[in-house]
Amino acid sequence: MIEFQHVFKSYGRGRNILADINFRIQPGEFIFVSGPSGAGKSTLLKLIGGLEPPSRGAIMINGHRSDRMSARARPYLRRAVGVILQDMHLLYDRNAIQNVLLPLSVAGQAPAQAIPRARAAMEKVGLSGKEDLNPVEMSGGEQQRLAIARAIVNRPSILIADEPTANLDEDSARRIMDVFRDFNRVGVTTLIASHDRELMAAYTRRTMRIEAGRFSDTEGAA
Amino acid sequence: MKRWLYQHQYALLVAVRRLKNQPFSSLCNILVISLSLAVPIVVAAILDTARPVLMQIPVSAEVTLYLDQEATARDAERIANDLRQQHANDIHSIEVITRDQALAELRERPAWAEALAVLSANPLPDAVVVTLQQNPDIAATSASLSAQWQAIPYVDAVQIDSTWVQRLQSILDFLGIGLWLLALGVAIVVLATVFNTVRLQALTQREEIAVARLVGATESFVRRPFLYLGALTGLLSCGLAILIAWSALQPLNATIERLASSYGTELALRLPDSVSLVLAGVVVAILGALSARWSVTRNTQF
Repeated sequence: MIEFQHVFKSYGRGRNILADINFRIQPGEFIFVSGPSGAGKSTLLKLIGGLEPPSRGAIMINGHRSDRMSARARPYLRRAVGVILQDMHLLYDRNAIQNVLLPLSVAGQAPAQAIPRARAAMEKVGLSGKEDLNPVEMSGGEQQRLAIARAIVNRPSILIADEPTANLDEDSARRIMDVFRDFNRVGVTTLIASHDRELMAAYTRRTMRIEAGRFSDTEGAA
Repeated sequence: MKRWLYQHQYALLVAVRRLKNQPFSSLCNILVISLSLAVPIVVAAILDTARPVLMQIPVSAEVTLYLDQEATARDAERIANDLRQQHANDIHSIEVITRDQALAELRERPAWAEALAVLSANPLPDAVVVTLQQNPDIAATSASLSAQWQAIPYVDAVQIDSTWVQRLQSILDFLGIGLWLLALGVAIVVLATVFNTVRLQALTQREEIAVARLVGATESFVRRPFLYLGALTGLLSCGLAILIAWSALQPLNATIERLASSYGTELALRLPDSVSLVLAGVVVAILGALSARWSVTRNTQF
Protein backbone atom coordinates (compact mmCIF):
# COMPACT_ATOMS: atom_id res chain seq x y z
CA MET A 1 0.00 0.00 0.00
CA ILE A 2 1.13 3.55 -0.76
CA GLU A 3 -0.17 6.45 1.30
CA PHE A 4 0.68 10.16 1.19
CA GLN A 5 -0.48 12.44 4.02
CA HIS A 6 -0.07 16.21 3.57
CA VAL A 7 3.12 15.78 1.59
CA PHE A 8 5.01 18.86 0.40
CA LYS A 9 8.14 18.92 -1.69
CA SER A 10 10.31 21.89 -2.56
CA TYR A 11 13.98 22.33 -3.40
CA GLY A 12 15.82 24.74 -1.16
CA ARG A 13 13.63 27.78 -0.44
CA GLY A 14 11.99 27.60 -3.87
CA ARG A 15 8.29 27.16 -4.57
CA ASN A 16 6.55 23.90 -3.71
CA ILE A 17 6.83 21.33 -6.51
CA LEU A 18 4.21 19.32 -4.66
CA ALA A 19 1.83 20.86 -2.13
CA ASP A 20 -0.38 19.09 0.37
CA ILE A 21 -0.65 15.80 -1.51
CA ASN A 22 -2.97 13.20 0.01
CA PHE A 23 -3.86 9.84 -1.49
CA ARG A 24 -3.94 6.13 -0.82
CA ILE A 25 -3.20 3.36 -3.33
CA GLN A 26 -4.25 -0.18 -2.51
CA PRO A 27 -2.01 -3.16 -3.31
CA GLY A 28 -2.43 -4.37 -6.91
CA GLU A 29 -3.89 -1.12 -8.29
CA PHE A 30 -2.96 0.17 -11.74
CA ILE A 31 -2.70 3.96 -11.64
CA PHE A 32 -1.97 6.59 -14.22
CA VAL A 33 -0.50 9.85 -12.93
CA SER A 34 -1.38 12.45 -15.52
CA GLY A 35 -0.70 16.10 -15.94
CA PRO A 36 1.21 18.57 -18.07
CA SER A 37 5.02 18.72 -18.18
CA GLY A 38 6.46 20.27 -15.03
CA ALA A 39 3.33 19.47 -12.99
CA GLY A 40 5.31 17.38 -10.48
CA LYS A 41 4.65 13.84 -11.78
CA SER A 42 8.33 12.80 -11.79
CA THR A 43 8.85 14.26 -8.32
CA LEU A 44 5.86 12.30 -7.04
CA LEU A 45 7.31 9.04 -8.41
CA LYS A 46 10.75 9.82 -6.92
CA LEU A 47 9.12 10.30 -3.50
CA ILE A 48 7.35 6.93 -3.83
CA GLY A 49 10.59 5.24 -4.94
CA GLY A 50 12.50 6.68 -1.98
CA LEU A 51 14.84 8.46 -4.36
CA GLU A 52 14.14 11.76 -2.63
CA PRO A 53 12.72 12.65 0.78
CA PRO A 54 9.67 14.90 1.16
CA SER A 55 10.05 18.38 2.63
CA ARG A 56 7.05 17.79 4.87
CA GLY A 57 4.34 15.18 5.43
CA ALA A 58 4.18 11.43 5.85
CA ILE A 59 4.74 8.75 3.20
CA MET A 60 3.82 5.15 3.96
CA ILE A 61 5.17 2.43 1.65
CA ASN A 62 4.14 -1.16 2.40
CA GLY A 63 3.43 -0.18 6.01
CA HIS A 64 6.71 1.68 6.62
CA ARG A 65 7.19 5.43 7.05
CA SER A 66 9.66 6.03 4.21
CA ASP A 67 10.08 9.71 5.13
CA ARG A 68 11.45 8.70 8.50
CA MET A 69 13.76 5.99 7.21
CA SER A 70 17.45 6.30 7.92
CA ALA A 71 19.89 6.57 5.02
CA ARG A 72 20.95 2.99 5.80
CA ALA A 73 17.40 1.62 5.56
CA ARG A 74 16.32 3.50 2.42
CA PRO A 75 18.15 1.18 -0.06
CA TYR A 76 16.06 -1.74 1.21
CA LEU A 77 12.87 0.22 0.41
CA ARG A 78 14.21 0.87 -3.09
CA ARG A 79 14.56 -2.87 -3.64
CA ALA A 80 10.82 -3.26 -3.01
CA VAL A 81 9.99 -0.60 -5.60
CA GLY A 82 10.92 -1.14 -9.24
CA VAL A 83 11.73 2.23 -10.79
CA ILE A 84 11.86 3.10 -14.49
CA LEU A 85 12.95 6.68 -14.98
CA GLN A 86 12.41 8.74 -18.09
CA ASP A 87 16.05 8.51 -19.26
CA MET A 88 16.27 4.77 -18.39
CA HIS A 89 19.77 4.94 -16.83
CA LEU A 90 21.09 1.87 -18.66
CA LEU A 91 24.80 1.08 -18.40
CA TYR A 92 26.45 1.07 -21.80
CA ASP A 93 29.75 -0.48 -20.69
CA ARG A 94 28.09 -3.90 -20.33
CA ASN A 95 25.62 -6.07 -22.20
CA ALA A 96 21.87 -6.34 -21.70
CA ILE A 97 21.83 -9.25 -19.24
CA GLN A 98 24.54 -7.66 -17.11
CA ASN A 99 22.30 -4.59 -16.82
CA VAL A 100 19.44 -6.79 -15.62
CA LEU A 101 21.75 -8.66 -13.21
CA LEU A 102 22.73 -5.49 -11.35
CA PRO A 103 19.78 -5.41 -8.87
CA LEU A 104 20.38 -9.11 -8.10
CA SER A 105 24.08 -8.47 -7.43
CA VAL A 106 23.07 -5.57 -5.19
CA ALA A 107 20.81 -7.97 -3.26
CA GLY A 108 23.65 -10.52 -2.96
CA GLN A 109 22.10 -13.18 -5.20
CA ALA A 110 24.36 -16.09 -6.19
CA PRO A 111 25.21 -15.99 -9.92
CA ALA A 112 23.81 -19.51 -10.35
CA GLN A 113 20.35 -18.28 -9.31
CA ALA A 114 20.67 -14.73 -10.59
CA ILE A 115 21.39 -15.54 -14.23
CA PRO A 116 18.23 -17.68 -14.78
CA ARG A 117 16.17 -14.97 -13.05
CA ALA A 118 17.65 -12.28 -15.26
CA ARG A 119 16.94 -14.40 -18.37
CA ALA A 120 13.36 -14.95 -17.18
CA ALA A 121 12.89 -11.20 -16.65
CA MET A 122 14.18 -10.51 -20.15
CA GLU A 123 11.86 -13.15 -21.55
CA LYS A 124 8.88 -11.56 -19.79
CA VAL A 125 9.53 -8.26 -21.54
CA GLY A 126 10.13 -9.96 -24.90
CA LEU A 127 13.91 -9.64 -25.04
CA SER A 128 14.82 -13.32 -25.26
CA GLY A 129 17.92 -13.88 -27.36
CA LYS A 130 19.13 -10.30 -26.87
CA GLU A 131 21.05 -10.99 -23.66
CA ASP A 132 24.47 -10.39 -25.17
CA LEU A 133 23.60 -7.18 -27.01
CA ASN A 134 24.91 -3.90 -25.75
CA PRO A 135 22.03 -1.48 -25.01
CA VAL A 136 23.33 0.87 -27.73
CA GLU A 137 22.60 -1.88 -30.26
CA MET A 138 18.92 -1.92 -29.22
CA SER A 139 16.02 0.20 -30.41
CA GLY A 140 14.36 2.76 -28.13
CA GLY A 141 11.51 0.36 -27.35
CA GLU A 142 13.90 -2.47 -26.56
CA GLN A 143 15.96 -0.23 -24.26
CA GLN A 144 12.76 0.74 -22.46
CA ARG A 145 11.85 -2.95 -22.05
CA LEU A 146 15.37 -3.65 -20.81
CA ALA A 147 14.90 -0.96 -18.16
CA ILE A 148 11.60 -2.66 -17.20
CA ALA A 149 13.32 -6.05 -16.99
CA ARG A 150 15.90 -4.54 -14.61
CA ALA A 151 13.12 -2.97 -12.55
CA ILE A 152 11.12 -6.20 -12.17
CA VAL A 153 13.95 -8.74 -11.79
CA ASN A 154 13.93 -8.33 -8.00
CA ARG A 155 10.16 -9.06 -7.99
CA PRO A 156 9.15 -5.70 -6.50
CA SER A 157 5.69 -5.23 -5.03
CA ILE A 158 5.45 -1.76 -6.58
CA LEU A 159 6.43 -0.71 -10.07
CA ILE A 160 6.69 2.95 -11.03
CA ALA A 161 7.49 4.28 -14.47
CA ASP A 162 8.03 7.84 -15.58
CA GLU A 163 6.80 8.47 -19.15
CA PRO A 164 7.78 4.97 -20.30
CA THR A 165 6.28 5.41 -23.77
CA ALA A 166 7.61 8.87 -24.52
CA ASN A 167 9.44 9.00 -27.87
CA LEU A 168 8.17 5.54 -28.87
CA ASP A 169 6.03 4.70 -31.87
CA GLU A 170 2.46 3.52 -31.27
CA ASP A 171 3.25 -0.17 -31.67
CA SER A 172 6.23 -0.09 -29.29
CA ALA A 173 4.22 1.96 -26.77
CA ARG A 174 1.43 -0.61 -26.80
CA ARG A 175 3.89 -3.47 -26.24
CA ILE A 176 5.42 -1.63 -23.28
CA MET A 177 1.99 -0.99 -21.79
CA ASP A 178 1.06 -4.65 -22.26
CA VAL A 179 4.11 -5.58 -20.21
CA PHE A 180 2.98 -3.30 -17.36
CA ARG A 181 -0.57 -4.68 -17.55
CA ASP A 182 0.78 -8.26 -17.31
CA PHE A 183 2.77 -7.43 -14.17
CA ASN A 184 -0.23 -5.70 -12.65
CA ARG A 185 -2.35 -8.80 -13.30
CA VAL A 186 -0.05 -10.82 -11.03
CA GLY A 187 -0.51 -8.33 -8.19
CA VAL A 188 2.20 -5.74 -8.71
CA THR A 189 1.01 -2.23 -7.80
CA THR A 190 1.75 -0.17 -10.89
CA LEU A 191 2.03 3.61 -11.23
CA ILE A 192 2.72 5.20 -14.59
CA ALA A 193 3.31 8.88 -15.12
CA SER A 194 2.15 9.95 -18.53
CA HIS A 195 0.55 12.85 -20.33
CA ASP A 196 -0.63 10.64 -23.22
CA ARG A 197 -4.43 10.77 -22.93
CA GLU A 198 -5.00 8.23 -25.73
CA LEU A 199 -2.78 5.70 -23.99
CA MET A 200 -4.60 6.19 -20.68
CA ALA A 201 -7.92 5.79 -22.45
CA ALA A 202 -6.76 2.52 -24.03
CA TYR A 203 -5.77 1.11 -20.63
CA THR A 204 -8.67 2.50 -18.62
CA ARG A 205 -7.64 2.51 -14.98
CA ARG A 206 -7.71 4.90 -12.03
CA THR A 207 -6.08 8.18 -13.00
CA MET A 208 -4.66 10.74 -10.60
CA ARG A 209 -4.39 14.16 -12.20
CA ILE A 210 -1.75 16.52 -10.95
CA GLU A 211 -1.42 20.14 -11.92
CA ALA A 212 1.00 22.75 -10.56
CA GLY A 213 1.96 20.46 -7.70
CA ARG A 214 -1.62 19.75 -6.55
CA PHE A 215 -4.11 16.99 -7.23
CA SER A 216 -6.97 18.40 -9.22
CA ASP A 217 -9.08 15.26 -9.42
CA THR A 218 -9.02 11.49 -9.23
CA GLU A 219 -11.00 9.54 -11.72
CA GLY A 220 -11.70 5.88 -12.46
CA ALA A 221 -11.68 3.05 -9.97
CA ALA A 222 -9.34 0.32 -8.86
CA MET B 1 26.48 -14.93 5.16
CA LYS B 2 26.34 -16.34 1.61
CA ARG B 3 24.82 -13.10 0.30
CA TRP B 4 27.60 -11.15 1.98
CA LEU B 5 30.20 -13.40 0.35
CA TYR B 6 28.56 -13.00 -3.08
CA GLN B 7 28.56 -9.24 -2.68
CA HIS B 8 32.29 -9.35 -1.89
CA GLN B 9 32.91 -11.64 -4.85
CA TYR B 10 31.00 -9.19 -7.06
CA ALA B 11 32.96 -6.22 -5.68
CA LEU B 12 36.27 -8.00 -6.29
CA LEU B 13 35.28 -8.82 -9.89
CA VAL B 14 34.19 -5.22 -10.49
CA ALA B 15 37.51 -3.96 -9.08
CA VAL B 16 39.49 -6.32 -11.34
CA ARG B 17 37.37 -5.26 -14.34
CA ARG B 18 38.02 -1.59 -13.58
CA LEU B 19 41.78 -2.25 -13.36
CA LYS B 20 41.66 -4.16 -16.66
CA ASN B 21 39.53 -1.57 -18.43
CA GLN B 22 42.20 1.10 -17.92
CA PRO B 23 45.42 -0.92 -18.25
CA PHE B 24 47.80 1.97 -18.97
CA SER B 25 46.50 4.17 -16.17
CA SER B 26 46.45 1.23 -13.71
CA LEU B 27 49.99 0.21 -14.67
CA CYS B 28 51.29 3.77 -14.24
CA ASN B 29 49.78 4.00 -10.75
CA ILE B 30 51.15 0.61 -9.77
CA LEU B 31 54.59 1.55 -11.13
CA VAL B 32 54.68 4.82 -9.16
CA ILE B 33 53.79 3.06 -5.92
CA SER B 34 56.08 0.06 -6.52
CA LEU B 35 59.12 2.23 -7.35
CA SER B 36 58.52 4.17 -4.13
CA LEU B 37 58.14 0.91 -2.19
CA ALA B 38 61.26 -0.65 -3.72
CA VAL B 39 63.54 1.98 -2.13
CA PRO B 40 62.81 1.07 1.53
CA ILE B 41 62.90 -2.64 0.63
CA VAL B 42 66.46 -2.22 -0.74
CA VAL B 43 67.49 -0.16 2.31
CA ALA B 44 65.97 -2.82 4.58
CA ALA B 45 67.91 -5.48 2.66
CA ILE B 46 71.18 -3.58 3.23
CA LEU B 47 70.43 -3.08 6.93
CA ASP B 48 69.35 -6.71 7.39
CA THR B 49 72.59 -7.90 5.83
CA ALA B 50 74.92 -5.41 7.55
CA ARG B 51 73.58 -5.80 11.09
CA PRO B 52 74.51 -9.50 11.62
CA VAL B 53 77.96 -8.86 10.16
CA LEU B 54 78.49 -6.02 12.60
CA MET B 55 77.35 -8.18 15.49
CA GLN B 56 80.29 -10.51 14.80
CA ILE B 57 82.83 -7.68 14.95
CA PRO B 58 84.04 -6.62 18.43
CA VAL B 59 82.70 -3.14 19.00
CA SER B 60 85.00 -2.24 21.92
CA ALA B 61 87.72 0.21 20.89
CA GLU B 62 91.09 -1.43 20.41
CA VAL B 63 94.42 0.41 20.06
CA THR B 64 97.34 -1.57 18.65
CA LEU B 65 100.93 -0.44 19.27
CA TYR B 66 103.30 -1.84 16.64
CA LEU B 67 106.89 -1.90 17.89
CA ASP B 68 109.90 -1.37 15.67
CA GLN B 69 112.09 -4.23 14.56
CA GLU B 70 114.77 -3.46 17.21
CA ALA B 71 112.34 -4.04 20.09
CA THR B 72 112.42 -7.41 21.84
CA ALA B 73 109.57 -9.43 23.36
CA ARG B 74 110.78 -8.25 26.76
CA ASP B 75 110.38 -4.60 25.60
CA ALA B 76 106.84 -5.40 24.54
CA GLU B 77 106.03 -6.87 27.99
CA ARG B 78 107.58 -3.85 29.70
CA ILE B 79 105.55 -1.40 27.61
CA ALA B 80 102.36 -3.40 28.37
CA ASN B 81 103.05 -3.28 32.14
CA ASP B 82 103.77 0.48 32.01
CA LEU B 83 100.53 1.16 30.18
CA ARG B 84 98.59 -1.02 32.63
CA GLN B 85 99.92 0.99 35.58
CA GLN B 86 99.67 4.46 34.03
CA HIS B 87 96.22 4.15 32.44
CA ALA B 88 94.45 1.63 34.68
CA ASN B 89 91.15 3.58 34.49
CA ASP B 90 91.07 3.70 30.71
CA ILE B 91 92.25 0.19 29.93
CA HIS B 92 90.07 -2.90 30.00
CA SER B 93 92.74 -5.44 28.97
CA ILE B 94 96.16 -5.67 27.34
CA GLU B 95 97.54 -8.46 25.21
CA VAL B 96 101.05 -8.83 23.84
CA ILE B 97 101.25 -10.54 20.45
CA THR B 98 104.79 -11.44 19.58
CA ARG B 99 105.98 -11.45 15.98
CA ASP B 100 106.16 -15.27 16.11
CA GLN B 101 102.56 -15.55 17.28
CA ALA B 102 101.45 -13.13 14.56
CA LEU B 103 103.33 -15.11 11.90
CA ALA B 104 101.82 -18.39 13.08
CA GLU B 105 98.35 -16.86 12.97
CA LEU B 106 98.85 -15.60 9.43
CA ARG B 107 100.18 -18.95 8.24
CA GLU B 108 96.84 -20.51 9.22
CA ARG B 109 95.13 -18.37 6.57
CA PRO B 110 95.44 -20.00 3.12
CA ALA B 111 95.59 -16.65 1.32
CA TRP B 112 98.71 -15.66 3.26
CA ALA B 113 100.46 -19.01 3.63
CA GLU B 114 101.99 -19.05 0.13
CA ALA B 115 103.23 -15.45 0.35
CA LEU B 116 104.86 -16.02 3.76
CA ALA B 117 106.57 -19.21 2.58
CA VAL B 118 108.83 -17.28 0.20
CA LEU B 119 110.07 -14.89 2.92
CA SER B 120 113.43 -15.67 4.50
CA ALA B 121 112.74 -13.83 7.78
CA ASN B 122 109.65 -12.82 9.80
CA PRO B 123 108.76 -9.26 8.66
CA LEU B 124 106.09 -8.79 11.35
CA PRO B 125 106.62 -6.60 14.42
CA ASP B 126 105.75 -7.35 18.05
CA ALA B 127 102.48 -5.72 18.99
CA VAL B 128 100.68 -4.61 22.14
CA VAL B 129 96.88 -4.73 21.74
CA VAL B 130 95.08 -2.48 24.24
CA THR B 131 91.33 -2.84 24.71
CA LEU B 132 89.91 0.35 26.20
CA GLN B 133 87.09 0.65 28.75
CA GLN B 134 83.74 1.53 27.14
CA ASN B 135 82.68 5.13 27.63
CA PRO B 136 80.55 7.61 25.66
CA ASP B 137 83.68 9.50 24.50
CA ILE B 138 85.55 6.40 23.43
CA ALA B 139 86.52 7.93 20.08
CA ALA B 140 88.07 11.00 21.76
CA THR B 141 89.77 8.90 24.48
CA SER B 142 91.31 6.48 21.99
CA ALA B 143 92.56 9.38 19.83
CA SER B 144 94.15 11.14 22.83
CA LEU B 145 95.83 7.97 24.19
CA SER B 146 97.13 6.91 20.80
CA ALA B 147 98.76 10.34 20.38
CA GLN B 148 100.47 9.91 23.81
CA TRP B 149 101.55 6.36 23.10
CA GLN B 150 103.10 7.26 19.78
CA ALA B 151 105.91 8.96 21.79
CA ILE B 152 106.84 5.80 23.78
CA PRO B 153 110.31 4.48 22.84
CA TYR B 154 110.29 1.46 20.49
CA VAL B 155 106.71 2.23 19.38
CA ASP B 156 106.76 2.48 15.59
CA ALA B 157 103.04 3.01 14.88
CA VAL B 158 99.76 3.26 16.78
CA GLN B 159 96.52 2.15 15.16
CA ILE B 160 92.99 2.63 16.47
CA ASP B 161 91.35 -0.59 15.33
CA SER B 162 87.65 -0.54 16.10
CA THR B 163 86.44 3.01 16.14
CA TRP B 164 85.26 2.56 12.56
CA VAL B 165 82.97 -0.22 13.71
CA GLN B 166 81.28 2.09 16.18
CA ARG B 167 80.99 4.78 13.53
CA LEU B 168 79.50 2.25 11.14
CA GLN B 169 77.10 1.13 13.87
CA SER B 170 76.03 4.76 14.36
CA ILE B 171 75.54 5.12 10.60
CA LEU B 172 73.42 1.95 10.56
CA ASP B 173 71.36 3.24 13.49
CA PHE B 174 70.87 6.46 11.58
CA LEU B 175 69.89 4.50 8.48
CA GLY B 176 67.43 2.50 10.61
CA ILE B 177 65.69 5.72 11.64
CA GLY B 178 65.91 6.88 8.03
CA LEU B 179 64.20 3.68 6.94
CA TRP B 180 61.21 4.45 9.15
CA LEU B 181 61.02 7.99 7.78
CA LEU B 182 61.28 6.56 4.27
CA ALA B 183 58.47 4.10 5.05
CA LEU B 184 56.35 7.03 6.29
CA GLY B 185 57.04 8.89 3.04
CA VAL B 186 56.11 5.83 1.00
CA ALA B 187 52.90 5.45 3.01
CA ILE B 188 51.99 9.02 2.04
CA VAL B 189 52.77 8.23 -1.62
CA VAL B 190 50.48 5.15 -1.43
CA LEU B 191 47.68 7.16 0.21
CA ALA B 192 47.93 10.02 -2.28
CA THR B 193 48.17 7.84 -5.39
CA VAL B 194 45.30 5.53 -4.43
CA PHE B 195 43.19 8.51 -3.34
CA ASN B 196 43.60 10.13 -6.73
CA THR B 197 43.06 6.87 -8.64
CA VAL B 198 39.81 6.21 -6.79
CA ARG B 199 38.69 9.83 -7.20
CA LEU B 200 39.08 9.53 -10.97
CA GLN B 201 37.40 6.11 -10.98
CA ALA B 202 34.48 7.44 -8.95
CA LEU B 203 34.00 10.25 -11.46
CA THR B 204 34.18 7.77 -14.35
CA GLN B 205 31.71 5.40 -12.65
CA ARG B 206 29.26 8.16 -11.71
CA GLU B 207 26.47 6.69 -13.85
CA GLU B 208 27.03 3.16 -12.54
CA ILE B 209 26.92 4.42 -8.95
CA ALA B 210 23.69 6.33 -9.63
CA VAL B 211 22.07 3.24 -11.20
CA ALA B 212 23.24 0.99 -8.36
CA ARG B 213 21.65 3.38 -5.84
CA LEU B 214 18.48 3.47 -7.96
CA VAL B 215 18.10 -0.31 -7.71
CA GLY B 216 18.71 -0.37 -3.96
CA ALA B 217 22.47 -0.50 -3.44
CA THR B 218 23.65 0.40 0.04
CA GLU B 219 26.58 2.80 0.42
CA SER B 220 28.72 -0.19 1.47
CA PHE B 221 27.89 -1.87 -1.84
CA VAL B 222 28.89 1.28 -3.74
CA ARG B 223 32.12 1.71 -1.77
CA ARG B 224 33.25 -1.94 -1.72
CA PRO B 225 34.64 -2.24 -5.30
CA PHE B 226 36.69 0.91 -4.70
CA LEU B 227 38.09 -0.54 -1.47
CA TYR B 228 39.10 -3.67 -3.35
CA LEU B 229 40.59 -1.49 -6.09
CA GLY B 230 42.74 0.31 -3.49
CA ALA B 231 43.77 -2.94 -1.80
CA LEU B 232 44.55 -4.65 -5.12
CA THR B 233 46.59 -1.66 -6.29
CA GLY B 234 48.56 -1.82 -3.03
CA LEU B 235 49.10 -5.58 -3.26
CA LEU B 236 50.14 -5.57 -6.90
CA SER B 237 52.45 -2.62 -6.24
CA CYS B 238 54.05 -4.42 -3.31
CA GLY B 239 54.60 -7.56 -5.42
CA LEU B 240 56.17 -5.51 -8.20
CA ALA B 241 58.27 -3.56 -5.66
CA ILE B 242 59.70 -6.82 -4.30
CA LEU B 243 60.57 -7.87 -7.87
CA ILE B 244 62.22 -4.50 -8.57
CA ALA B 245 64.17 -4.63 -5.28
CA TRP B 246 65.30 -8.20 -6.00
CA SER B 247 66.42 -7.16 -9.50
CA ALA B 248 68.30 -4.15 -8.10
CA LEU B 249 70.13 -6.35 -5.56
CA GLN B 250 71.53 -8.70 -8.24
CA PRO B 251 74.15 -6.32 -9.72
CA LEU B 252 74.93 -5.01 -6.21
CA ASN B 253 75.50 -8.55 -5.01
CA ALA B 254 77.86 -9.34 -7.87
CA THR B 255 80.10 -6.47 -6.74
CA ILE B 256 79.77 -7.19 -3.02
CA GLU B 257 80.56 -10.88 -3.47
CA ARG B 258 83.76 -10.01 -5.34
CA LEU B 259 84.77 -7.57 -2.59
CA ALA B 260 83.92 -10.04 0.20
CA SER B 261 85.80 -12.92 -1.46
CA SER B 262 88.95 -10.75 -1.60
CA TYR B 263 88.71 -10.68 2.22
CA GLY B 264 88.22 -14.44 2.32
CA THR B 265 84.58 -14.15 3.38
CA GLU B 266 81.10 -14.40 1.87
CA LEU B 267 78.54 -11.64 1.88
CA ALA B 268 75.38 -11.11 -0.13
CA LEU B 269 72.46 -8.69 0.16
CA ARG B 270 69.21 -10.54 0.69
CA LEU B 271 65.62 -9.35 0.67
CA PRO B 272 63.99 -9.14 4.11
CA ASP B 273 62.48 -12.48 5.23
CA SER B 274 59.23 -13.65 3.64
CA VAL B 275 57.15 -12.94 6.77
CA SER B 276 58.26 -9.29 6.71
CA LEU B 277 57.52 -9.05 2.99
CA VAL B 278 54.04 -10.57 3.40
CA LEU B 279 53.40 -8.20 6.32
CA ALA B 280 54.53 -5.26 4.16
CA GLY B 281 52.09 -6.41 1.43
CA VAL B 282 49.23 -6.59 3.94
CA VAL B 283 50.04 -3.15 5.38
CA VAL B 284 50.21 -1.58 1.90
CA ALA B 285 46.91 -3.28 0.91
CA ILE B 286 45.24 -1.95 4.07
CA LEU B 287 46.65 1.53 3.40
CA GLY B 288 45.30 1.33 -0.16
CA ALA B 289 41.86 0.29 1.07
CA LEU B 290 41.77 3.04 3.72
CA SER B 291 42.79 5.66 1.20
CA ALA B 292 40.17 4.36 -1.24
CA ARG B 293 37.47 4.54 1.42
CA TRP B 294 38.42 8.11 2.28
CA SER B 295 38.39 9.06 -1.41
CA VAL B 296 35.16 7.28 -2.37
CA THR B 297 33.31 8.73 0.64
CA ARG B 298 34.37 12.23 -0.42
CA ASN B 299 33.79 11.79 -4.14
CA THR B 300 30.49 9.92 -4.41
CA GLN B 301 28.25 12.38 -2.61
CA PHE B 302 25.95 13.18 -5.51
